[in-house]
Amino acid sequence: MLIPIRCFTCGTLVADKWDEYLKLKEQDTPPEEIFKRLDLERFCCRRMLIAHVDLIDDVLKFSRQQ
Amino acid sequence: MKVNILTRTDKRMSFVVDGIDVETANALRRIMLTEVPAMAIHEVLFIENSTPLYDEIIAHRLGLIPLTSDLDSYVLSEQCKCEGAGCERCQVGIQCSVAAKDANRNVYTSDLVSLDPKIRPVSDKIMITKMSKGSKLLFEAYARLGLGKDHAKYQAATKATYKYYPEITINQAALKDYEYKGDNENDPLVTMCPRNVLKWEKNELVVTDLMRCNLCGTCMRGLETPKGAVVVKAVPGKFIFFLESSGSMPPDRIMREGIKIFQEKVGRFGDLVKELIEKQGRAG
Repeated sequence: MLIPIRCFTCGTLVADKWDEYLKLKEQDTPPEEIFKRLDLERFCCRRMLIAHVDLIDDVLKFSRQQ
Repeated sequence: MKVNILTRTDKRMSFVVDGIDVETANALRRIMLTEVPAMAIHEVLFIENSTPLYDEIIAHRLGLIPLTSDLDSYVLSEQCKCEGAGCERCQVGIQCSVAAKDANRNVYTSDLVSLDPKIRPVSDKIMITKMSKGSKLLFEAYARLGLGKDHAKYQAATKATYKYYPEITINQAALKDYEYKGDNENDPLVTMCPRNVLKWEKNELVVTDLMRCNLCGTCMRGLETPKGAVVVKAVPGKFIFFLESSGSMPPDRIMREGIKIFQEKVGRFGDLVKELIEKQGRAG
């Protein structure tokens, strides 16, 4: 759905790096360089961004009516 | 116990602790990881929520947001005079009121309003949820101090590790028959080390960065190494610690708090033992 707030394994904050990650990826920055700039040094935090599928935009079309 | 700081940034630091044994080093590591208090949202009251995410999911996301923690003006709610009811010494209110009027809108941590400016989210760019046009989000949340052993959201440190302090002795006399071809990049003694610690300098094998050595001992046991030329040993009672903060407080504060809590615990244990001995003395 949405990018998780913290890394599942170590608890490092990853949610604030998602927009920056997408931007750097769009510019074809090498993966090593992306994570260096985002200051994510362990692979547990890196996989949080790599493996994430952002589905919220699809769900957003079917908003709950109250 | 002597502490010497090696490197320090606002998020990470490494330091050497001298004069402790492995048990003490591990106790210090565990205390820094799980017993240094940090702020986190623990209760959320939803007044209105018509976003695509359920109340529970939003509450869970809010709980995980790291908050800057002020250990000087707040106490753990269990130790507070209000007995956990929630007062201004142990609890902070955080409010949020967002409405997507004309277009879809994202809710970020910058939309949260804390009643105490010292307690605020570590980053303003954490997305809490997305909202479609016409939906509303209105809630009131309460943050308090907690311990990492109760929930990972209260962890002040995201990484706390240690390793033995290495000591590399190079016997230049034993290297006399070793043929160094003047090429550091292809020399087997240099390339053998996975951490690039060794280097030739003016026909002498030297250590470039001792802190990088992970005591694997490949250089000691290597087929190309002349017998007794390189000896890698761990210095007894000396450890290098690595600490990373979640952002709630600077890493050196976590270290200081960790050592303080450790001393308190040891003191309390000593008192209990004394009490026990006195009791047994009276009975016997």
